[in-house]
Amino acid sequence: MIEARDLHKWFGPVHAVRGVSFSLGKGEVVGLLGHNGAGKSTTIRMMTGFACPDLGSVTIRGLDVAEDRVRATANLGYLPESTPLYPEMPAADYITFRATLSGVPRRERASRVDRVIEQCWLKDVAKRRIAGLSKGYKQRVGLAAALVHDPQVLLLDEPTSGLDPAQVRETRELIRGLSQQRTVLISSHVLPEVEQLCSRVIIFAAGEIRADASLESLKRSGSRTYHVETRDADDATLNLLLDRWRAIPGLEQIRGDGLTREANPPRGKFGWRTWLLDFAPLDASPAGALADPREAIAQAALASGMVIRELRSQTRSLEQLFLSVLERAGEAERDGVAVRA
Amino acid sequence: MIAGTFTIAKRELASYLRMPAGWIIIMLFLLLTGAVFALSALVPGRPATMRPFFEACGWLLLPLAPAVSMRLIAEEARTGSLETLLTSPLSTIALTLGKLLGACLFLIVMVLPTLALPAILWTVSDPAPDLGPILAGYLCLLLLGLLYLSIGLAASGATNNATLAFIATLFIILALLLAGTLGRQLPSPWQDLLFALALPPRLNDFAKGVIDTRHVVYFVSVSGLCWSVATSLIAWKRWRDR
Repeated sequence: MIEARDLHKWFGPVHAVRGVSFSLGKGEVVGLLGHNGAGKSTTIRMMTGFACPDLGSVTIRGLDVAEDRVRATANLGYLPESTPLYPEMPAADYITFRATLSGVPRRERASRVDRVIEQCWLKDVAKRRIAGLSKGYKQRVGLAAALVHDPQVLLLDEPTSGLDPAQVRETRELIRGLSQQRTVLISSHVLPEVEQLCSRVIIFAAGEIRADASLESLKRSGSRTYHVETRDADDATLNLLLDRWRAIPGLEQIRGDGLTREANPPRGKFGWRTWLLDFAPLDASPAGALADPREAIAQAALASGMVIRELRSQTRSLEQLFLSVLERAGEAERDGVAVRA
Repeated sequence: MIAGTFTIAKRELASYLRMPAGWIIIMLFLLLTGAVFALSALVPGRPATMRPFFEACGWLLLPLAPAVSMRLIAEEARTGSLETLLTSPLSTIALTLGKLLGACLFLIVMVLPTLALPAILWTVSDPAPDLGPILAGYLCLLLLGLLYLSIGLAASGATNNATLAFIATLFIILALLLAGTLGRQLPSPWQDLLFALALPPRLNDFAKGVIDTRHVVYFVSVSGLCWSVATSLIAWKRWRDR
């Protein structure tokens, strides 16, 4: 549907985008993650044709954006980060203007405008001037204008920035609804948002793609941690328990809650101890490693005569995964190795 | 391309008329030109001429046209809406043409009510005024407006700052008005060039009621040059640092 090939962009001496390549298939919802200045917005601008790549190319449905921008972008809906609008125009007039600009035939224009006004919950403010609307409504006007020509590809740059929590929730709901029939690329700082909406994540750092994987496989590529609370016991029983746990394939280290290195946790209140068991990422675990080792952890404790009060998986959030990918990429860079998840 | 041009032109014209600044410009223009007409043309015993009116219009365009054109692209670039326009299926040529057309339409809306003035003159003066200089005057006004707005469009495309675009437009227009005077001080090839670019001799011919095709070609070609500069500047912005 849309493909970026070896994109490069220099801003004076700064090499802002360095050989970025990826493609988005039909119906995919992809999140673009990265710190400020990582090259996300520049990449999106090159995909829309607003900025020209110094090297590389972007094609939308087989049409090169640099060579035939007008035809290539006919099927593209774009919401820029700052949601620029014309404040003096009424919301409905602005959406109609964008529909005309996008080539929506005259006979269909009114019905399309009405439909997106309905879809983006703008009915109450459709006749009001944009200058008098709240930030949330303005964002929705921008989204409605990006949708009015029913594009198959949607590029949304920070679609919920500056919105209050209720507006964020509504906008996410709207995007979720839209993503069922379209290819959507969402650039965002807000990791939970990407986690909720996207099935695939592309992580940018220093102008390069550091990871491009499905959310599921990204999670599998991260280490797993299990939280266990056991009744305290004498040293011999504890040693027996630790030996049994260490025998579980894939276990990397046993540590106390709040500790980063292997060490037995201190005795807690009322004779309970809290352990954290770190397992290697599934894709880096030895053969026979369990996808979910909780049963093995519990059986080892029971066999050692220990009572377990709590056993749960500490699911790593996308934020932790994001940071670990950047950390690994940083380490690899220091070692002179490129990382691709 | 034509549909895109008209869409942009329509929005541009509507935006002038939606803002108080647009109406203030129209009011100022009509008030001042009306006063000049009343004080010069409607004096008993004097010949019925609209020449002072057209001279006043020419001077008023000097600040008003740059005020109209300064926002054309600079404001779009400053607010970021240029990004929306340039990521729509709209060519850069259609965009700049639409912008220029919109500004010209605003100028026509501004000048249109003054058509009542020759009608008044026709009614009250005896003998009736000569129609040639009046038609030539209006044609000159439109061509002058087109030229000033085109210069403004190019200046507006060169910067994100509307005030800077206003000053640059004013400076270029003054340079064209003073080109003849400056040319007299310079040696031959430069003198010829500046004389060819100078505006006042062409305006004088129009004021006499003479419609010289060379002058029409001058206005249209210089305007076309400025429009193509504006179009190239926007195309160049895609490559430039963002």
